Amino acid sequence: MIRFILERVAQLLIIVFVVSTLTFVLMRLAPGDPATILLTAHNVPASEEALTTLRQELGLNEPFHIQYVNWLRDVFTGHWGTSYVSKESVLAELWNRLPATVELAAAGFAVMTVLTLGLGLAASLKISGPLDRLGRLFALLGSSIPSFWLGFLLIYLFSVRLGWLPSMGREDWTHLVLPALTLGAGLGAVQARVLRAQMLELGDRNFVKAAKARGFSRMHILFFEIFKHAVLPIITLLGTNLSFMLAGNVIVETIFSWPGLGKYFIDAITQRDYPVIQGYVIFAVFLIVGVQCLVDVVQTAIDPRLRLR
Amino acid sequence: MISNHSRRSWLICTGVMLLLAVMALSGCTSNKTSNSSGKDENASAQQTATGKKLVMAYTWKPSGVDPHGDNSWDVMRSGAGETLVRLNEKLEPVAWLAKEWKQDSPTVWTFSLQDKVTFHNGKSMDAASVKASLLRSIEKSHLAKDLLNVKSIDVSGPLALKITTNQPNAALVSNLADPSTTVLDVASMKDEQSYPAMTGAFKIKAFNKDQSLIVERYDGYWGEKARLAEATMKFITDGNSRLMALQSGEVDVATDIPVDNAEVLKKNDKLQVLSAPSLRTHMLVYNMESPVFKDAANRKVVDSLIPRTSIVSAVMRGFGTEASSPFPSILPFGKVERKALDGTADQLLTKDGWQKDAQGTWTKQGKPFEVTLLTFPQRPELSVMAEVIQSQLLKEGIQVKIRKVENIDEALTKNDWDFAMYSMLTAHTGEPQYFMDMFYSSQSEANVSRYSSKPLESILNSLKLAKDTAQRNAVTLQALDIINTDLPQSFIVHPDNVFGVKKGVEGFTPHPIEYYYITAQSDIAE
Repeated sequence: MIRFILERVAQLLIIVFVVSTLTFVLMRLAPGDPATILLTAHNVPASEEALTTLRQELGLNEPFHIQYVNWLRDVFTGHWGTSYVSKESVLAELWNRLPATVELAAAGFAVMTVLTLGLGLAASLKISGPLDRLGRLFALLGSSIPSFWLGFLLIYLFSVRLGWLPSMGREDWTHLVLPALTLGAGLGAVQARVLRAQMLELGDRNFVKAAKARGFSRMHILFFEIFKHAVLPIITLLGTNLSFMLAGNVIVETIFSWPGLGKYFIDAITQRDYPVIQGYVIFAVFLIVGVQCLVDVVQTAIDPRLRLR
Repeated sequence: MISNHSRRSWLICTGVMLLLAVMALSGCTSNKTSNSSGKDENASAQQTATGKKLVMAYTWKPSGVDPHGDNSWDVMRSGAGETLVRLNEKLEPVAWLAKEWKQDSPTVWTFSLQDKVTFHNGKSMDAASVKASLLRSIEKSHLAKDLLNVKSIDVSGPLALKITTNQPNAALVSNLADPSTTVLDVASMKDEQSYPAMTGAFKIKAFNKDQSLIVERYDGYWGEKARLAEATMKFITDGNSRLMALQSGEVDVATDIPVDNAEVLKKNDKLQVLSAPSLRTHMLVYNMESPVFKDAANRKVVDSLIPRTSIVSAVMRGFGTEASSPFPSILPFGKVERKALDGTADQLLTKDGWQKDAQGTWTKQGKPFEVTLLTFPQRPELSVMAEVIQSQLLKEGIQVKIRKVENIDEALTKNDWDFAMYSMLTAHTGEPQYFMDMFYSSQSEANVSRYSSKPLESILNSLKLAKDTAQRNAVTLQALDIINTDLPQSFIVHPDNVFGVKKGVEGFTPHPIEYYYITAQSDIAE
């Protein structure tokens, strides 16, 4: 276990270094001057003196390699810089937005998991039965309807027409329903088909025939023999999607005015808020690697043979 | 029969699922407000026992509530902030925190302040506190520093302030209406646990980062007390989301309604569309170093072919007016006529050495009249305008290649363009001086056309000295005459500011100056 953790930490450091360096270079190559963007926010022109002063304040007049060295030093000393826009610590800004993102990701993950397991298992009980057909329809819709469109459809139906649920913001649990559905429904429907296919494929294996020969009930075989094996790739998929949700879902957060990391990151790109962009990338890498570690642990617990690999 | 290993696996999986479920639910059960957690205070558009509340869907997302930072406009729009001078509907400076003012010399002004004004923390406003506030705004805001150009500020009495500028700055009074000069109690900024103490009819109750700014009635207000008990600005950056929030009744007012959606609101009998001409100008900027457009005749031909009427009706859906100068006609110095072409476009081009080839394209010395037009995605209507202009010019034998760029200001610093769509707020304090200095000075980075005119710069220098309004307007018109003769830009349209408002909302009057949204007069029917 110690070796496993050490390996993961080493991998994490390499990934953080490579990804954040790449981000640093790409952001500096991208068109757009932070000083101009900040000073002309309302399309009011800015003076030469103001632009020069601000560039000096932000350290943008330093040569590229000096900016890079300064940034690298800051990262490895735990100082992630100060946002150009809010003038506050990047780390504090990210932490402030993390609860909202975790809340939405967890709710979206719950929707996705319930749909994946519910629809996937129900569909595999009777091939071409009503539930299987329903699952197929959901999967088709889930893979073909973009999330922004689904979001607006849900808002139109439940907020504008019926008035049952709020369309935006983050106040109480009712505000979480529509964004969580938007985030989890499509992914859940698609993953349900993957689970169904896995279940059907494993149904003909020898260990299933052996279990039948021993006289186990159909439900026991389905849940404790077939599902146990079929769920492994699903856990990988769930983990990957959870990482994606935790890193902040820009589209859903924008549509529902959800104050999370994804929207903040996009705003930072628009405003060329370099410290925030770089800080977010490191933050996201930690989140993604952390979730992948969790997935590894769960998979190893389910299938101990994976430890030997 | 289930093995121990299976049980353990199930326990772990179930534990992980439960953990995620708890995470999901943990954030949903609390209504506690906290700036750091991002939880929004419950602000519904209803009348409660504590009084009437109004909720506004607001386009922008301020990063803070310091009126001397980048968020001055947002704070001013909330009704919490006030400046020494206010701009009326005619965009003239009128008394606000300053009762009156007089110019002692080209560089010295004396302001008399209102008495009985208190900050939101109960302290009285006097000349010393206003001086401290102005000095802080100059220190914190580049725009305030440029607009005021202050050499010194002196307290000449308990409620009298003397402002000395570095150079003659006749626009000083109007520029003091800019939100970056909002008056606050500087001491209140030292306390991180409280919000800035300003002087407006509303005081800040809560600022929820990324979500909302809530203001409540300030009972110690020096003027007419606010009719609303509370107002909330919800930050909804997506136009469609703002529209739907309005349609669902979650908000009472929505700002910056996309013109395409205005028709939808007009059909809703519970809502109304309000608009006001803005001080913004959508324009074509010519690259004065472009091989084609360094020739004024070619610029004039293109200018004459822009279908402004069609653009206003089809692209802006009527929410705009045709432009004939950088400034809209609601300004006294904006009533300018476009200069007519001396002949037809064909005659002018022929005179200039162009010939039409077999395909109907204008050519000169074997080269076709082919130009590159830049546009950018942040203002979608500009890209549509670019296509309309491209189509019109093609009919006349001028070929236009449209190139969409992510960052227009960056793209304009390069040389691979001939003309570009652009949009500027041209008189944000009702004064022409600041914009023209920035946009037409040959040394300015904001001079994106790279246009240089000594006569114009000379007139702009004389504008700084022009004292009375009539004289300033006359000098500005002289400057506009040069601009409309040289045509470094083609001015296309002045867009309107469009708001969606629930019927029953009163005292919400769209203003050409985009500073005043929530005011003491804002009200909502019971």
